[in-house]
Amino acid sequence: MTRHGIRLLKFGVLAGTALAAMMPAHPTAAQETVKLGFTAALTGPFNEFGEGIRRGVEIAIEEWNKKGGVNGKKVELAEALDDQLVPDRAVQNMRRILDNEQIAALIAPSGSGPTLAVIDMLEADGRPVCNTQAQTPTIVYPKGPESPPRQNIFSLSIDNTVEAEKLAGVLASQYKKVGLLHESTGYGVTGAELIGKAIKAANQEATITSEAYNQRAQDMTAQLTRAQRAGAEVLMVVGLGADLAVIRKNMARLNINIPLYATAGGITPPYMEGAGNLVKGTRAASTKSFGLDEPPAATKTFLELYKAKHGFDRWWGNDPERPQISMATTVGTAYDCVNLLLNAMVKANSTKPKDIIKALEETKDFPAASIRAISFSPEKHRALTVDDLAVYEIDKQGDKVKLTIVQE
Amino acid sequence: MTTFLSLVLAGVSVGAVYALVALGLNVTFWTTKTLNFGHGSLMMFCAMLMVYFASQGLVLALAAVLSLLVIAAFGIFIERFTVRPALKTNNSMGWVVSTLGFGIVLQGVAAKLFGSQAVAFPSILFDSEDFVTIFGLHVSLQYLVVLGLSVFLVVVLEAFLRLTRWGQAVRAVSHDPELGRVNGMPVNAIIVGSFVLSALLGGAAGLLVSQIGGTVDPAFGFNLVLFGFVAAVVGGMGSSVGALVGGIALGVLSKLIGGYVASAAEQPVAFAILMLMLALRPNGLLAQAEATKA
Amino acid sequence: MTAIRTTLTAIVNNPYLVGAFVVALAAGAGWMSSGTIHVLSFVLISIIFALSINLLTGLAGQISLGHAGLFGMGAYVTGILAKTYGLPILLAIPFGALAAALVGYLLSFPAGRVRDVYLAMMTLGFGMIFFEIVREWNSVTGGMMGLSGVPSPTLRTLKILGYRIDEVWFFRGILLVTVLTLWIMRNVTQSRIGRAFFAIHHSEIAAGSLGISRAGTKQFAYVLSGLLAGLSGGIYAHLVGYLGPDSFTLNRSIEVLVIAIVGGLGSIAGQVLSATLFTFLPETLQVFSEYQFIVYGIILTFSLIVLPQGIAGLLLLPPRFIQAGSLARLRAGTGSKTMTASSQMGGLLEVDGLTKRFGGLTALNNVTLNLKPGHITALVGPNGSGKSTLVNVISGIYPPTEGKVLFKGNDITGLPDHKIARTGIVRTFQDPRLVPNFTVRENLLLGAHRLMTHSGFASALALPLATREEAAYLARIDRIMELTELTPTADQTVDSLPYGYRRLAEVARALVASPSAILLDEPAAGLSEIEMEHLSRIIRRMKEMGLTIMLIDHHMDFLAELVDDVVVLDSGKVIYRGTIDGMRADRTVINAYLGEEEAVHA
Repeated sequence: MTRHGIRLLKFGVLAGTALAAMMPAHPTAAQETVKLGFTAALTGPFNEFGEGIRRGVEIAIEEWNKKGGVNGKKVELAEALDDQLVPDRAVQNMRRILDNEQIAALIAPSGSGPTLAVIDMLEADGRPVCNTQAQTPTIVYPKGPESPPRQNIFSLSIDNTVEAEKLAGVLASQYKKVGLLHESTGYGVTGAELIGKAIKAANQEATITSEAYNQRAQDMTAQLTRAQRAGAEVLMVVGLGADLAVIRKNMARLNINIPLYATAGGITPPYMEGAGNLVKGTRAASTKSFGLDEPPAATKTFLELYKAKHGFDRWWGNDPERPQISMATTVGTAYDCVNLLLNAMVKANSTKPKDIIKALEETKDFPAASIRAISFSPEKHRALTVDDLAVYEIDKQGDKVKLTIVQE
Repeated sequence: MTTFLSLVLAGVSVGAVYALVALGLNVTFWTTKTLNFGHGSLMMFCAMLMVYFASQGLVLALAAVLSLLVIAAFGIFIERFTVRPALKTNNSMGWVVSTLGFGIVLQGVAAKLFGSQAVAFPSILFDSEDFVTIFGLHVSLQYLVVLGLSVFLVVVLEAFLRLTRWGQAVRAVSHDPELGRVNGMPVNAIIVGSFVLSALLGGAAGLLVSQIGGTVDPAFGFNLVLFGFVAAVVGGMGSSVGALVGGIALGVLSKLIGGYVASAAEQPVAFAILMLMLALRPNGLLAQAEATKA
Repeated sequence: MTAIRTTLTAIVNNPYLVGAFVVALAAGAGWMSSGTIHVLSFVLISIIFALSINLLTGLAGQISLGHAGLFGMGAYVTGILAKTYGLPILLAIPFGALAAALVGYLLSFPAGRVRDVYLAMMTLGFGMIFFEIVREWNSVTGGMMGLSGVPSPTLRTLKILGYRIDEVWFFRGILLVTVLTLWIMRNVTQSRIGRAFFAIHHSEIAAGSLGISRAGTKQFAYVLSGLLAGLSGGIYAHLVGYLGPDSFTLNRSIEVLVIAIVGGLGSIAGQVLSATLFTFLPETLQVFSEYQFIVYGIILTFSLIVLPQGIAGLLLLPPRFIQAGSLARLRAGTGSKTMTASSQMGGLLEVDGLTKRFGGLTALNNVTLNLKPGHITALVGPNGSGKSTLVNVISGIYPPTEGKVLFKGNDITGLPDHKIARTGIVRTFQDPRLVPNFTVRENLLLGAHRLMTHSGFASALALPLATREEAAYLARIDRIMELTELTPTADQTVDSLPYGYRRLAEVARALVASPSAILLDEPAAGLSEIEMEHLSRIIRRMKEMGLTIMLIDHHMDFLAELVDDVVVLDSGKVIYRGTIDGMRADRTVINAYLGEEEAVHA
């Protein structure tokens, strides 16, 4: 093609895009299906989470369609958009999804940042939304846990509040002086705050030192020595994975030999591989169902379905016998969300937001993969309870990492 | 007291890393008055590449050498395709943007090739538990290695610049490349060489830092370059000894502030120092004010 | 090819077509899906944001790697005012923009002191500090949790004067703001302010010699750029209704830089195209994202090398820098008649005991000389004897170590260069320092910068006040171009001209500045025989006009028929003062020149 032609073509593409954008987004009336939609980090550095959501959603939809769909209609994933965890992109995507009037229910984005950015918009829209991963409590309870939840938001994620309660319970019974280290994004900040409060609540005499660190820092000496100076008997880290490895190694270099507790990041591969043999003895809280020797039936079903469709990939992990615990939140909760939402539509025999929400709020002991039994009520839109979490201890024999539940 | 010494020691060691990064930035500054804004990506890529080679069953030493070779090749590429064309236009924006761009490309490529998650990095020299006791103080050998290597490299570079014919050629080129060309110096070779050396220093720093932290991921390195740049500016752009002094001063200061004031203040303080230094003493604390030339 | 560019440029510059397009867009918004309107609103925000960095980086040449900080400042101040203090949008956004302008102003102090890589690093640091502050200052910014509840059309919570504003009307509103911004930006680019930005972009010293304050001009560029970034940030805050620190990271700074570079730095139409492209494609196609970072990186790596003018350079003719209104008045001859005295009287320039040391080197040693009005004084001496240093000290580029400079009896010692230029001392450089992408006419108009009296406000709105004055100077420039025989090259860009013309253009530019004294640093170097004669004629005309003239040159034949006195410098000292014939006989001069003689006549 001539240069001339290329230029014309470029201009044409531009003009075409502009024109296409002015057209109504969905001109033709679609088939009679039940439509779901979401935006998540499908590509980019955080695609483990977004792609996990997609897999969970797809597996669940396939199963429902095999059984004949919902109220006689097939289920369809109408919109699966990619935001790369960029809040702006999530906002634009969500606007586009909400434009599709036929979408009956939605899955919230991966991660707190994008979810916080779209949550007001979702609440204003009113269609039912299920949150799978974002841990910030204000997503469900914007005015604190005592106030009513957002009317259309339901959550299956490992909520910071519950996680904090679990860890605080364990720590407060054993230690008086706790050194809290947290990474400086929203996850770490709220997590540390909640854990601190919960420990205080459980044990008035406990002293807590709280230190923030940057996820990308390669040296945590300042934070560790501060905790050490405060006489911490245990170190509690609210972190993500690789940063925990930096802390663990730094502890070894400074010869700090106190027990290390961590949030769910403590049993992710970046930590367990990054810290090498030092991982032995680290304890961390995460979902219980996936770590049990004999998982609940719903968990087993999900695992069989996943294995059949995707095999042992990076979501499952290296061990064919047992999936990674983190799979419960990357894939499991999305699968559960779809099941919950569709189940509510069947119960309500409707796809109207009001009816679905009403049915969801009547959910009682619904068996799910990531959480043994889910119950909602008009006041309770958060499925997870302290009993759904377990504290694991990491052991390492040779190259093989072994997790044992030490605190149910 | 132990706290203080631990902080200083960590500061010295972290500062030595900043110094290594600053040295890498300095080398190209000598010859072309340019800096590689993608230096952090070179550090990252070298470390990730080494993890990859090691996972393919190569001996660690061989894996390290191989990945350093690849990084050296990148050095040549950067000079040839991002800096040289940009220097033809009389505008510094060109190379700032193009080297930054190449860094972003490397970051994207690493994410595509090796995944975007952090991967575990093996301990090359010593484990994090290895230590010696000096005056009753627990001193990590990993820290000592970084410090020792930085000091060694500074000495070598200074000796090279001052004592060898090539070093003098580098200084001549730095002073006036046109004059060097006229005098029959292999100016291009010297410039390419400086980019290769800079890339190698970056790669080596990447390997050292990764083994301390234990993991490496595609976004690794960017912050370190900023701190390395602060170190270089504090010590005076282009001075090797200055880079070492500046790096260690920055490291110790930020650790002391982190340890005694607030750990969250570590980063903002470093950036504030950067802006202050640039505004007040852009030629470094050690350098005398240079007359501006018309 | 050029035909296409000409056509496209005509379309882009046609106010009726553009107006029709805008009206169609505003009207059509009623039929669009809300998702489309949402994205279009983001496009408009990107356009304003891109204009902001284009102004600072493209026009004024100050690279910014921390523009997200200015954008974020506008967004957070707007958001906090609107949410926490309940300020209506029509106040919150202007306050946000002003706050960002203030930050830009403050940033200009450290940033104005550094250049190139140091500036890049400093702005990067600025962006980082902003991000850290937003993240840590929980009580005000909401920290990592962000700030939600900003009134927004998407949440149906935005009201103006009690009326609920939906997305369509919000879009129409920001469309109007964007169009106004574009119009003002075009006017500014084509005004004395825009030209001053380009002048400091290409040579701060040359700008100073024309009376353009580099510090002041940079400050103004930062303020304006901050204002625009803040404006786009404020609109963003209201559009999205939620602010989180993640939206203001380095990535956003890089993204907007990519947009500006791809659009073509310096071109306004290019920014519009590029911002549209970069906002639309990722959202609409959804496929590009996997390789987005690699693609951005590749664009950054090669675009300035392969396509330095960006899309604009590909599709459009290069932008011009004089308002159409001024040119129309020039053609119609309706420029203002009253003008400041076209040539001031020359004045006595006294240099008294001037010494300049660089470290241990004494470049000027106790130099004393007087330059009289209507008099041409030649300054000669071997290479390195301190001639250029003397010019640089007089014109304020270097402060002297000792001694005084008096002009028309006033002490001007140590004043900054632009202030010295404003007293009427104008200079030229050994290497012509013109703005390469300006035409000869535009470059000459730069010479009139210090004489113009209309305000930036007047030129931003293209008021008759401004165009009339510009037209008057343009008329004068026409006469000077005739005088200097530059008329045929008037509308050619300087970078397309041969060297001799550039020299003459620089001398002409100095003349436009209506100087009382003119310092010509080797104006004849590199000129052909004919061009040299031409130059002699011009210098004689200057003398007739009564200017005080100092002329540095090596060509004795050229000087002999031109000058009144000669001052000879050697190693920073005056070794001879008198007529040119006397100099030829002077022993000291001959000794000083002996080794140099051949070189001089070579």
